Amino acid sequence: MKWNIPNLKELEDILWRCTACGTCKEAYEYGPPSVSSPICPAGEEFGFEGFLSSRGKIAFARGILSGDLGWNEALIDAIYKCNVCGGCQSQCELDHKPFIPEIIEAMRRKIVADGVGPMPKQKVIAQSLNSYDNPYQGPRRVRLDWTRPFKKQGKPIKNILEEPAPILYYVGCTGGYNVPVRVVPQATASIFNKLGLDFGILGESEICCGSTAMRLGDVGAFQRVAESNLELFRKLHDEKGLKTIVTSCAGCYRAFMKDYPMAEEYDRMMEGIRVIHTSQFLYDLYMSGQLKFTESLPWKVTYHDPCHAGRHLTKFIIDKDGTQLWAGAYVKLDDKDCLYDIPRQLLKAIPGIDLREMRRIKANSYCCGGGGGVMTGYNDWAARNAGIRIQEGMETGADQMVSICPFCHYNLNQGSQGIGSKMKLYDLTELIDKVLPEKVS
Amino acid sequence: MKAKKIEKKGKTVKAVKAAKAVKADKKERILKELKSIVGEKNATTDQHILYAYSYDMSFVTPKLPDYVVIVHTVEEVQKILKVANKEKIPVVPYTSGTNIGGLCIPERGGMILDFKKMNKIVKLDPEALYAVIEPGVSHGQLADALYKYNLRFGWPVGPPSASVASCAICHGIGHMNARYGLNSQEITSMEVVLPTGELVRVGSCAINPDAWHSCLPMPQMDGLFKGWLGSTGIVTKLGIAVHHIPPILKIFTVSCDNVDDMYSYMLNLSNYEICDDLTAVSWWLSQVPIPYPYKPKPDDAPEWFSYATTFSFTEKEKEARTEVWEKVVDEEKKKGTSIQVTHYPEEALKARTQLPSQIVGSTKNYCKMAGGGISWPGTFTPANRWAPIYKEWRKIMIGHNLSPAVRMSMYRGVHYGMLRAMTPFNKQSAKETENARQAIVECLKVDLDNGGMPYKPPVDFSTEINKRAHPGYLMLMRRLKKFLDPNDIMNPGKLGI
Ligand SMILES: Cc1cc2nc3c(=O)[nH]c(=O)nc-3n(C[C@H](O)[C@H](O)[C@H](O)COP(=O)(O)OP(=O)(O)OC[C@H]3O[C@@H](n4cnc5c(N)ncnc54)[C@H](O)[C@@H]3O)c2cc1C
Repeated sequence: MKWNIPNLKELEDILWRCTACGTCKEAYEYGPPSVSSPICPAGEEFGFEGFLSSRGKIAFARGILSGDLGWNEALIDAIYKCNVCGGCQSQCELDHKPFIPEIIEAMRRKIVADGVGPMPKQKVIAQSLNSYDNPYQGPRRVRLDWTRPFKKQGKPIKNILEEPAPILYYVGCTGGYNVPVRVVPQATASIFNKLGLDFGILGESEICCGSTAMRLGDVGAFQRVAESNLELFRKLHDEKGLKTIVTSCAGCYRAFMKDYPMAEEYDRMMEGIRVIHTSQFLYDLYMSGQLKFTESLPWKVTYHDPCHAGRHLTKFIIDKDGTQLWAGAYVKLDDKDCLYDIPRQLLKAIPGIDLREMRRIKANSYCCGGGGGVMTGYNDWAARNAGIRIQEGMETGADQMVSICPFCHYNLNQGSQGIGSKMKLYDLTELIDKVLPEKVS
Repeated sequence: MKAKKIEKKGKTVKAVKAAKAVKADKKERILKELKSIVGEKNATTDQHILYAYSYDMSFVTPKLPDYVVIVHTVEEVQKILKVANKEKIPVVPYTSGTNIGGLCIPERGGMILDFKKMNKIVKLDPEALYAVIEPGVSHGQLADALYKYNLRFGWPVGPPSASVASCAICHGIGHMNARYGLNSQEITSMEVVLPTGELVRVGSCAINPDAWHSCLPMPQMDGLFKGWLGSTGIVTKLGIAVHHIPPILKIFTVSCDNVDDMYSYMLNLSNYEICDDLTAVSWWLSQVPIPYPYKPKPDDAPEWFSYATTFSFTEKEKEARTEVWEKVVDEEKKKGTSIQVTHYPEEALKARTQLPSQIVGSTKNYCKMAGGGISWPGTFTPANRWAPIYKEWRKIMIGHNLSPAVRMSMYRGVHYGMLRAMTPFNKQSAKETENARQAIVECLKVDLDNGGMPYKPPVDFSTEINKRAHPGYLMLMRRLKKFLDPNDIMNPGKLGI
């Protein structure tokens, strides 16, 4: 398959659009009242310009391209000490705005292509992807461990490779292999069962979406699994009636929505197949009256917007041919795909829920600290950063935090433990499952 | 690292210059000492970090520091300056590097002291209306804190993430300059570490450690640290006056065909002192973004726009201000000027009146089209010289294929104000950068010869100022500098002396 994934050199002109104004360093909204808070986890932790937001990363990129900076361990380390969360991107207004995560990942792609990275702990991910088709070094059979309770209850989940189903629930590796996060697929499947949906999973045959590899710059590993997935989705559509892929993993969702379309054959492979995040899927059912909450959950909660299901899904309108502004100009953004309001509306629809907002939300959400390969490469820092976010959640007066990403789920719970907080991170599906009656009429 | 040139698509990108190399063993020894003061994580000589501090958006040639140090406390600052003074290592204070004049570029290498983590709002007195801040406090952060009390400070049209203190001590300009003057005129007290490491205080806090309300009536020693571009000491705490936000905002907007008419209107209106901000911008500056390269103004568009921002506590007060403004407009019309009440381009107006702002802060309305670079001849100029200077600047700018994106703002009364030409350029190209530099320096000379004074001047400007300076001024400046900074370690090379 042919992929249009830019390398660093191809982004050179665009990264010179940055003025180094540093607006990207703080989440800021005029209001009034105005809101201003740090937005860059790496900046918070490491302080120096360079680490801090897109201004810093672009300095590295310029230095690498001009030849002023050659590879050394400290530089490579600094390039990987970034969550690629896109918080800095939300602040910028210049023409390079749409490409900010791309510029950071292009540096990583160059690191991998030049054979000098990623960081040692992250290399395990690439090796694991090659050997196990998942980043967790998990044997294939373990992928199904989360389904045991369903088997026990005599409600085994259909394998879509064996039996046709219009809906594929794509679990994702974190939900499958990361033990504390298995509650996410379990809650999702439980809801689907209660709703009587005809859905299937890929079982032991599910392979990674490639998101982690892509975030680390291992474009070869990404392409291998992505191509395999695209071909499988096509086949399932043609042979098993697949129409909708639902995923409760923000990372997989981001990969399907933003990374896979870089394949030239994406449209052909995905024709007739819709990819949807669980929260949107359930929201649609709620709006059509199929999902009804009868029980109450008197919880005080706050909601954490995951980067991958939030601002990463922003579409940027670029003037490609110079008819609106000038060729290459960033014109405006379209954030209707960003899952900002949908999870909130679902939460508010649950009787008894008292939703308290944090200061940094939606496009200005403060990353949990887990993304961009940081949870693997620098787990202590990831958890420390999650502690900062939990603290912010606690300041709202909420008892629990809710989100829609298994990565955030794991990392924020780690962070909460780290600061000795009682706050727990729940997936939205866990709450919905709690208030949904066993059999929905 | 040597200066080198990289050919690229017919353009030349100049790579970073290093100052005189520091011997490796000295560098290692100093780094160890710095780390012992600020902790292992907060001092570095890593090349990629130095590189990130080597350039800014201006035309000033990038240069590498030898060390970067993040400081958190006054004691750390004192200890570092003692080391630097003993070892004669240049020290460049840095908060965000957005001064548009290369003022944080280490002309002679040395140490960047990064203050962004020294960012506490030490005190906020909503009754006595002042705040005490550390140097790393950003405009966004302070605005956020002040809003809770419905208070404000003079927000510049710059990045919300930039430092309030750095702006104020460099005679920065905020959105209330027509009413209260420059942000440096809002300074009420200071705590400063001298280049020799001693801690000093000026203003009321020098007499009573908790009193930060006023620099007067004592000798105004705060002047030793204001307008010196970080070359006389390091400000570690700053007292600033803050103000209530009256609930009713009314912005009066007019346009006209020529600069003489605009000056006449501004002069007339500013006599009544009813505005927080009285600013006029040329057509090129009213565009979002400034056209790059130069593009002629459409014939039917006015050449000048003005916004006069007023705040009132009551409707009656607003009406009174409106009455004054209407009277001025009437008078100007009767004089036969081309002044007209107008609709100011919306995004540009929002960018300049909803402050701090990401539209201007991100340089969208200045640089989005040009890319990467911006500098200015930014000056304080007698208002009655604005029109003749603008006419010269227009010729110079257009001659360099650059938009004459000029702003004029009255500072507290009618005597003088800001005259500046925002000059974006394509920083990727050394040729286009040099073109902008030449145009700006030419404009500056015109302004200096008309009695104007550049603010936050890059080195090129300081040289031009000093060429014209009274010998006594230069002698005094040298003496003061020598007295405060005997080893010339503080931001050396910036004053052009
Ligand atoms: C688009 C744009 C618009 C702007 N508009 C305005 C405007 O309207 N008005 C205005 O005033 N400015 C404006 N600026 C300039 C600048 O953004 C502000 O003045 C800003 O607040 C400076 O803060 P900084 O953190 O970037 O300072 P820096 O650039 O980091 O520092 C400025 C100077 O202060 C010195 N310094 C820093 N810290 C200390 C310290 N602790 N003690 C002593 N010296 C110190 C530095 O060495 C340097 O000389 C604008 C900039 C941009 C990019």
